[in-house]
Amino acid sequence: MSTNLYRCKNQVLFIAIFLLLVVAVLISICIGKYPISTGEIWDIVMGKPIDPLTRNVFLTLRLPRTLMALLAGYGLSVAGSVYQTIFKNPLASPDIVGVSSGASMGAAFAIVFLNGGTAAIAFSAFAGGVLTVLFLLGLVGISNNKSIATYVLSGIVINAFTQAVIMILKFFADPERQLASIEFWTMGSFGGITDDKIKAIIPFYLVGLLGLIVLRWQITLLSLSDDEGKTLGVRVQYLRCGVLLCATLVVASTISITGLISFVGLIAPHIGRLLLQRNNFKTTVFSGLVGAFILVAADCLARSISSSEIPISIMTSMIGAPFLAYLMSRGKRLS
Amino acid sequence: MEQKLLNVNHLSVSYGNHSVLRDVGFSLGCGEFAALLGLNGSGKTTLLRTICGLKKADSGGCFAAMKDIFRAHEKQRAHLISYIPQRHSIVYDISVTDVVLMGFNGRLRFYQQPGKEQIQRAFSTMEKLGIYTLRAESFLRLSEGQKQLVILARSMVQDTPVMLLDEPDSALDFVNRHKVLFKIREIIHEDGRCGLITLHDPNFALQYCDRLLLLSEGNICGEVNVKSNASDIKNNLSKIYGRIELLKYKGGYAMVKG
Repeated sequence: MSTNLYRCKNQVLFIAIFLLLVVAVLISICIGKYPISTGEIWDIVMGKPIDPLTRNVFLTLRLPRTLMALLAGYGLSVAGSVYQTIFKNPLASPDIVGVSSGASMGAAFAIVFLNGGTAAIAFSAFAGGVLTVLFLLGLVGISNNKSIATYVLSGIVINAFTQAVIMILKFFADPERQLASIEFWTMGSFGGITDDKIKAIIPFYLVGLLGLIVLRWQITLLSLSDDEGKTLGVRVQYLRCGVLLCATLVVASTISITGLISFVGLIAPHIGRLLLQRNNFKTTVFSGLVGAFILVAADCLARSISSSEIPISIMTSMIGAPFLAYLMSRGKRLS
Repeated sequence: MEQKLLNVNHLSVSYGNHSVLRDVGFSLGCGEFAALLGLNGSGKTTLLRTICGLKKADSGGCFAAMKDIFRAHEKQRAHLISYIPQRHSIVYDISVTDVVLMGFNGRLRFYQQPGKEQIQRAFSTMEKLGIYTLRAESFLRLSEGQKQLVILARSMVQDTPVMLLDEPDSALDFVNRHKVLFKIREIIHEDGRCGLITLHDPNFALQYCDRLLLLSEGNICGEVNVKSNASDIKNNLSKIYGRIELLKYKGGYAMVKG
């Protein structure tokens, strides 16, 4: 394919996903138990006088919720793309280094022992996710062999351990309230998002994302084998730790207030690679936009297809799986 | 002492209790292209991996452009030695240009990206190797011969005094083998670098290299200049290949099984 044609196709894809995202965001702001029309959104943005109830719904419910779905989709997919690149494995996801199971453990701990206040759960989940990854880096650090296989093995060890702790917490949890809370947390939801929660996590999220942007060229180089990278002057050990920590900050800060969101971090990078047919930082950014679109759309469905809200992970899996199957059936390579 | 680009002194390497290299020493000068010949398991790859710092040596030293390789970290080593592995490890679709640009990594800080000037240099290197038209392709979709030229371009832009090549021809057909080896020799002679290459076929070594280093059971058992006389070359080559005959052909030699 000629360079120009390739560039042109890329631009079209970027514009398309951007437009889709804008439409999804508008729909997400409009729909819900108390609908807002696009005209009313325009009035609010332009600062015109408007019904205070509408204004309140817009500012305290819809905007934070939509913004968080956007941030979560973008962050999880960018992190997923980075994990898949540096683990040289198209099936890698945040679970591989234990950040999801660590965050679940933290959340379960807060639900059982700290009375399950929302702030306590968020803080405990964030701490659980980050500490688990730090523990993993420590495990790799004391091992003689610092190859990628050691990271995967350490991840398995840590996942098994945290799952055991979660089971203990579930076993002793009060089945009526606590056990249900733990289960719901692991299915994820944007229902309880407020602007205060977003303000609390955004610094960590941005630091992680900025780190990944700064290290973007090195991340491409980390997709080579350790030996090949080293002979090209990549300081593999330091960089891998740095990249993992940045990705962990993004994921942990996101899921600490949304609960676990399955599948989007795995599938969005696949869609990105399938469409752009490259794996570089542009693909990572594109995957982020795809993920943001998926989550905003999934959240719209989650709160509109039945009278009670459906957990977001159900929606992401229901939308993501058929889409991946469709792209697969078109006969393109997956990695 | 004449300035040498690569000095390897009394190198011993082992995997666990199994000793692979014993007291290996040699040096290469400016513009010298040497072949490392030996049978399977003689320690060729281990020697190359040790020289470029991927494998720790038990004893001995290795100096590239007078700098101690074993005391340098990855970034510093990347300024001195480039290495073409037997198999590249690229698993994702990366554009050919990006693969070549990876060669500049040793000169970039961790937060930097290759700049305009470096992209230009990558393009001109690719032009030199006749792969400029592939620049926007995905590396994975190239033929093995094209891939090897791309990796060679990456090694060239790394711009190191010492180039190590581990059987760069193993996946290539007869015509591409000649093409790639011809290019490698040209670069090393023109730029005044030094190159150490492992090859399975001694005939390619006889045709393209200046000197042959013969490795047997972890030891350099012979060393011969390809311009030397026939009996000298034959005696040395027979140390590892057994009964052989040397045929004179177009001012060079060709080896056949005797």
